[in-house]
Amino acid sequence: MNLNMNSAESIVAQIQALSTTPRDISQLHSFLKQSDDLIRSESTRLAPSLAQLDPSIHSLGYLYILDACTSGPSAKEQANEHVRTIARFVKACSTEQIRLAPEKFVSICRRLKDQVMFLAAPIRGIAPMLTAIRKLQSSTEHLTTLHPDFLLLCLSAKCYKNGLSILEDDIYEVDQPRDLLLYGYYGGMICIGQKRFRKALELLHSVVTAPMTNMSAIAVEAYKKYILVSLIHLGQFNATVPKYASTVAQRNLKNFTQPYLELAVSYGTGKVTELETCIRQHREKFQNDNNFGLVRQVVSSIYKRNIQRLTQTYLTLSLEGIANSVQLSSPKEAEMHVLQMIQDGEIHATINQKDGMVRFLEDPEQYKSCAMIERIDSSIERMMKLSKKLTATDELMSCDPAYLSRVGKERAPRLDFDDYDPVPQKFSM
Amino acid sequence: MDYTALTEAMSSKSYEKIADICNDLLLQGAAEGVAYNEDWPYAIHLLGLIYVDDINSARFVWKNVPRVVKENRPEVGAAWKIGQRLWTRDYAGVYEAIREFYGSPEAQAFVDSFLEVYTKRMFQLLLSAYSTISIQDAALFLGMNEADATNYVLQHGWSVDPASAMFTVKKQAIITEQKLDPSKLQRLTEYVFHLEH
Repeated sequence: MNLNMNSAESIVAQIQALSTTPRDISQLHSFLKQSDDLIRSESTRLAPSLAQLDPSIHSLGYLYILDACTSGPSAKEQANEHVRTIARFVKACSTEQIRLAPEKFVSICRRLKDQVMFLAAPIRGIAPMLTAIRKLQSSTEHLTTLHPDFLLLCLSAKCYKNGLSILEDDIYEVDQPRDLLLYGYYGGMICIGQKRFRKALELLHSVVTAPMTNMSAIAVEAYKKYILVSLIHLGQFNATVPKYASTVAQRNLKNFTQPYLELAVSYGTGKVTELETCIRQHREKFQNDNNFGLVRQVVSSIYKRNIQRLTQTYLTLSLEGIANSVQLSSPKEAEMHVLQMIQDGEIHATINQKDGMVRFLEDPEQYKSCAMIERIDSSIERMMKLSKKLTATDELMSCDPAYLSRVGKERAPRLDFDDYDPVPQKFSM
Repeated sequence: MDYTALTEAMSSKSYEKIADICNDLLLQGAAEGVAYNEDWPYAIHLLGLIYVDDINSARFVWKNVPRVVKENRPEVGAAWKIGQRLWTRDYAGVYEAIREFYGSPEAQAFVDSFLEVYTKRMFQLLLSAYSTISIQDAALFLGMNEADATNYVLQHGWSVDPASAMFTVKKQAIITEQKLDPSKLQRLTEYVFHLEH
């Protein structure tokens, strides 16, 4: 075949001719790779020819040209046009073809994100970015580099709920460590906005304990939010960083988050006044970190926590007694707090207005309904899947030459008779 | 923009679908570069989220409403007022906001339907949280006058003590599906067997 590498027309002709069978497409791919520089230098002449291509059929070629045309700075009018073209392409393009050039696809999606931010219209990027993630990822377990960008758009556009759709997937595969950190951090913020504190804790925790060799600013910010959400949701905070966290995190996190740790300590006393004093003292710091809203929620949660603590001691208690012991101003206010907690399923109790008493009850769940069996069953199934995954990863690692050579050096000479003993010593007497 | 899905859901009164439909329309339109600003049906969108009890999202939608709209379309503010009262758990205030709401006939029908849902929700709350409650408070929680509230709860088997002006709540037996699918039990048994051996 005679490949005339010199003109824009011939590039378009090649794309049109070689976009049907997989063999053609792989030939086209190597042609495009070779002509990448040419496509870039001819981008202004190539731009109009996009109209002659069908994004759903000529996806790969379209992608190369689109990437070249939209690179470089652009004015507002142009950015507007670029956003529309990229959005339409993402929607229409063929999944198989764009996966041949993932770096190009990521590059145009990044540009889409930058342009909508530049236009101050982040909402425009949400639907296309979600489609892009679904097309790019090999399975829902795959964290693409576009995940954090999508979540950032959701946050900026205040469309938190749309972010939840990808946060429900369990992630096992990550391209870049930084993607995971940002995914966990932004994801945590989205869950906080939707008051899904349990999921938020899980995401922030994965950021804090992620492997890292240098202290990351993302991890520090995540740890601050983790402390606050832990107080709001669990009513306590455990200041020891888990052993499986990186050494840098274990050593340094505390130094960067002192005011937050102090807040947790004052929360632990259960005294509202001490908590308020601590907040006044660090107010500026919390505000600068944009965490003051969460700090306010910590304050309202301490009342709940104190009421919950009462349920462990008393079977019945007067509303007045509750108001006194948790420092609320009136029995009516105590009643409203108890009512809200019942509404949210945080305690089991009944209020008797006639006698001004609250009776605390046991959890009525008897774990024998169909729905509960269903839940237990699905949890077991998830656990089994997870365990299989863990075994597979473990096997993969124990075959990894790099790992073996390192472990071998440390462990090999120490094998002695005891290691082959089939009966553990403490049971052998 | 194609509003068919929305108008269909509104006319068939499938109010629980409104929030999702609005969300999809908004995002699809935004991707095409449609600048809604003033003509987006904010009031319906807010009511849709309130209806499915997603006050967090309603709050974010409200934050996105342009100032011009807040100033020129009072029904949007009126819709959010309902959400705001829900957000602050001003139980009786919600009814007040519902009564004060005025808007297009279809929005009005939407709000009326929410009123029904909300009253039921409140009744369930009283049922689960109180053993006795004053007539006055119950009336506030149910958004009715005391005579209507008395009628309403008596129908549900509560009793009234006129001397203390208190209702005694009659708990409903909660009926849960107890009948088990034998294959489920079989599976659980196998798990336990597996773990023990």
